[in-house]
Amino acid sequence: MVGLACTILQGCNKWKDHTAITDPELNKNLLQQIEEVPELSRFADLLVKSGYGQLIAGSKNYTVFAPVNAALASLDPSIEADTARLRLFVGNHISNQLFKVTGNEPLRLLMINNKYNNLQGHTIEEASITVANRYGKNGYLNIIDKVVPALSNAWEFVNKDPQMPARQKAFLLSQKDSTGTNTYLATIADLRDEKKQYTFFVLADTAWDAELNNFKPFFVLESGNTDSTLDAAGRAVARDLVLDTVYRPAFIPDTVLSRYNTKLGIAKNDIAQTIKLSNGIVYIMRRLPVLPKHKFQPYVIQGEDYQFYRVDRRNVTYLRDKFNPVTGRDMRDVLVWDHNVAQFYLGYHLPNVPAMKYKAYWVALHDNINSNTGSFKQLLGIGTFNSSRLAYTTVNPNNFNEVYLGEFTLPYYNAMLNLYLTADNNTNDDANKITVDYIRLEPVL
Amino acid sequence: MKLTIKTALLASLMIGLFTSCKKILELNPGTELTAGQMYRDVYDANAAVMGIYGKFMALADRYIILNELRGDLMDFTHNADEYLRQLSHHNVTPDNPYINPRPFYELILNCNDALHHFRQMRATNKLSEDDFNQRYSDLGCLRSFLYLQLGIHYGELPYVTEALENINDVADPSRFPRLPLQVLVDSLISFTEPLPHKELYTTNISGSTGTALNITLDGYQTEKFFINKKVLLGDLYLWKGDYRKAALYYKAMMDFSTSSTNLDNRYLQYKIGWGGGDESTEVIYSKYGDASSLSYTSGWGTIFEASDDRFSWEILWALPYDNKFKPENPLIKLFSPIGGNYLVKPSQVIIDSWNQQLQNPMGVPGATNGVPYDARGLLSVRTIGGQPTITKFISNYISQSASVPLNPLVKNGRWFLFRTAHLHLRFAEAANRDGYPRLGYALFNNGIPAVYAPPAGVTDVTNYQNTLDLDEPYKFDARMGEIPNYRSPWYRNIGIRRRALLQPITLTATNFTDSIYQVEEGLINEQALETAFEGTRWPDLLRVAIRRNQPAFIADRIYNKLMKSGMSVGEAARARHKLMQKDWFLPFKF
Repeated sequence: MVGLACTILQGCNKWKDHTAITDPELNKNLLQQIEEVPELSRFADLLVKSGYGQLIAGSKNYTVFAPVNAALASLDPSIEADTARLRLFVGNHISNQLFKVTGNEPLRLLMINNKYNNLQGHTIEEASITVANRYGKNGYLNIIDKVVPALSNAWEFVNKDPQMPARQKAFLLSQKDSTGTNTYLATIADLRDEKKQYTFFVLADTAWDAELNNFKPFFVLESGNTDSTLDAAGRAVARDLVLDTVYRPAFIPDTVLSRYNTKLGIAKNDIAQTIKLSNGIVYIMRRLPVLPKHKFQPYVIQGEDYQFYRVDRRNVTYLRDKFNPVTGRDMRDVLVWDHNVAQFYLGYHLPNVPAMKYKAYWVALHDNINSNTGSFKQLLGIGTFNSSRLAYTTVNPNNFNEVYLGEFTLPYYNAMLNLYLTADNNTNDDANKITVDYIRLEPVL
Repeated sequence: MKLTIKTALLASLMIGLFTSCKKILELNPGTELTAGQMYRDVYDANAAVMGIYGKFMALADRYIILNELRGDLMDFTHNADEYLRQLSHHNVTPDNPYINPRPFYELILNCNDALHHFRQMRATNKLSEDDFNQRYSDLGCLRSFLYLQLGIHYGELPYVTEALENINDVADPSRFPRLPLQVLVDSLISFTEPLPHKELYTTNISGSTGTALNITLDGYQTEKFFINKKVLLGDLYLWKGDYRKAALYYKAMMDFSTSSTNLDNRYLQYKIGWGGGDESTEVIYSKYGDASSLSYTSGWGTIFEASDDRFSWEILWALPYDNKFKPENPLIKLFSPIGGNYLVKPSQVIIDSWNQQLQNPMGVPGATNGVPYDARGLLSVRTIGGQPTITKFISNYISQSASVPLNPLVKNGRWFLFRTAHLHLRFAEAANRDGYPRLGYALFNNGIPAVYAPPAGVTDVTNYQNTLDLDEPYKFDARMGEIPNYRSPWYRNIGIRRRALLQPITLTATNFTDSIYQVEEGLINEQALETAFEGTRWPDLLRVAIRRNQPAFIADRIYNKLMKSGMSVGEAARARHKLMQKDWFLPFKF
């Protein structure tokens, strides 16, 4: 029995030996590791000073990108003096994730100051990783040759940076709804979002005024309120000045498309300055002229997506699926037949319609409806159901082509324009039906 | 001396122990029956039949996977394992569990065992003549069905008809040589044709109550639970190429209700007819011509879900799954993204085919153009949770008109193996090959009354709307007239495409041979549009390819599926090459 016990106890020790940590590196936390490397002594000081030293000495896992002393030599002393700025700066070198630097896939790594840094291969932003993946008790240590400054995001740039031109800044800050929410951030682009990367064009004051003057005529209001006109024109200008992707200065093409499909011609000479952001890049432009014909796109309104009607005739409203031999594609249109209402109409809401001249087209298929082979007429009512801006147009049988309806001019900007597809003014079933696949309004510029 | 006594005592004790051993060890099991206890009367025979069908039901997913995934209408999803992908690519490894024929043989040996005992019971008068005929014929037919399935997939296999104690004996080539498909089909016919009972079961056949096979079992009527013997024989003769006999058997089922006094049954059961009110099996738009009004709660899409007349008129063979009894429904697991593993989806080939169809012009809302796609596509495949899902077999779980299960844990459903559309398509295939392409065309396009219509202005239809001048089984009387008055049994027949509101296909043939060829092409395409995913595609393709001796007939279709699938492009050329060599069968690894 004694012998047996001895064996068991002896075995215990061996087992312990087997599982014991033999790699001394694994006993050191990240702070200890950094303190051991002489060329990281400056960063170690900053860690302690910012309070992050304690954090990475703890038990959670981190990945640290530590700049060497040489890189920190030129650090602005004001950063070190201001605790908040110092924490932002040091925090930009520490990630909450356990991340091993390996492949070449580019990714955006979230740091503990809630900003993201681009990592690709052995570079993080501008800095090269000279020593990668030194493991310790609670994470990886990487040594880098440059600092990774904590930059402003695009919205911080607008708000705080002295280089931000005053006119565009004033416009962006003025865009608030009744609850104080900034509508530009809510509907166009959330410039605060650190995850995204934007290309953000900022116009010098003269350029902003020039663009505003250029587009003012399209936003003239019937009420004569010029402030509202300027506001609407400003929105039209500003919406195209932010792109959802980053173009580095060296690679920016001479023409880019905005998210509203507006062509922006970028002349390299007109770039006054480029400023890197934590979520993209800012181009300060001396001028960035946009042509109205590029800004104002045609409207295409699908007939079956009607939003209101004169009276409820859904029982005789048909959504029809057809094959269109002209386009070679299937289409869905709307037909109302046997409704017994003179000048019955279907209505469509069209938001933000600028003041200018338009050409109108439709595809209206009368494929012998109710076996009637005669033609009938219907009206595209602009603003009112019996508007005289366009005339009644004849719909001939079995025509799959787009039909030109004429042109009309809107003298004023419409925050909401109503369109009407209006039946003939009688109650004969074969004469007062209406049908349309789509309506297209093309700006004339 | 003492020692001797002790030894003697010990010895006698030991003897006592050993002698009693036998009785102690020969306890009869408490919950299971021995063979001698099993086959005692007709109730035991019924239990054997039902038990075998219960086991058969667990093969549903395997049946559909083999018959559809190897064909051109079904594709695997990202969830599918390597073995399902292999089947779709026609590139299987021997360890692929789906190609193991053992589950089929287990069931076949169960059938053999039951058949053997039924014969013994008949010899000892434990079963009446009628009871024996029904039960013997039933399991005999089920076995033939299983063998036909095996033949279709393996090409060559051992045909075992005796009860074996050890399933591994099946693989012994000295006892059971492997028969090629055509020889197997002949053997199956010579066994199945003389079977004494080929009718459906009435509810009370043997004169005494409670012994019938057509009963209510666990809340389900068992009338359509059993294999349809005439359809099976039709199939066997179709595989053999004896088209007249195949047509005879199919026609017997098509005319099943022709003499019924219930008029709806007479005109609609197994006949593809118009009408039926709320229980119509046509594709229905609640507002005719409004494409957004396609009905998901009535008409064609609901024949897979309903249990009223739609079921009674359309389905010939279906087995129910219910959470109240075993086996568990394997089809939810196969098809459903909710409550299942979503392993298979429709191929791009079948989606494109549906989109290429054109419906009839719509009268009031447009007399020259119809809806430019086949509504059966929308009723067979729906997007559930963002994924294209085959809904035919899960519509009792996730209703056609819903996108989530009513009760996620109640996985009820139905495995339907044969329905009226299959019946008409196969009859048309046989009739066409037997020299009656016009009749075949009528049945799958717009129906006999329309194809054999009288000339314009003729109101006496006596000599039209019928094929009474043809031989049996090709006589159809579809006359509907006022003076003289006709409402003949087939007058409501509208054909498979017309039932789906589609325009009939156009034939360009100028001679008899081309007509047969084109009608056969049309039939195969219609089979895809109408009965996609139901477990008949690969057999249908294989039968035609063998008949025409045209490997490209299969190879090109599989090639197209793999090319269009997006996940299998690299396999397309290799699969085509393999199939072009008539290498159509799975390796028989037992």
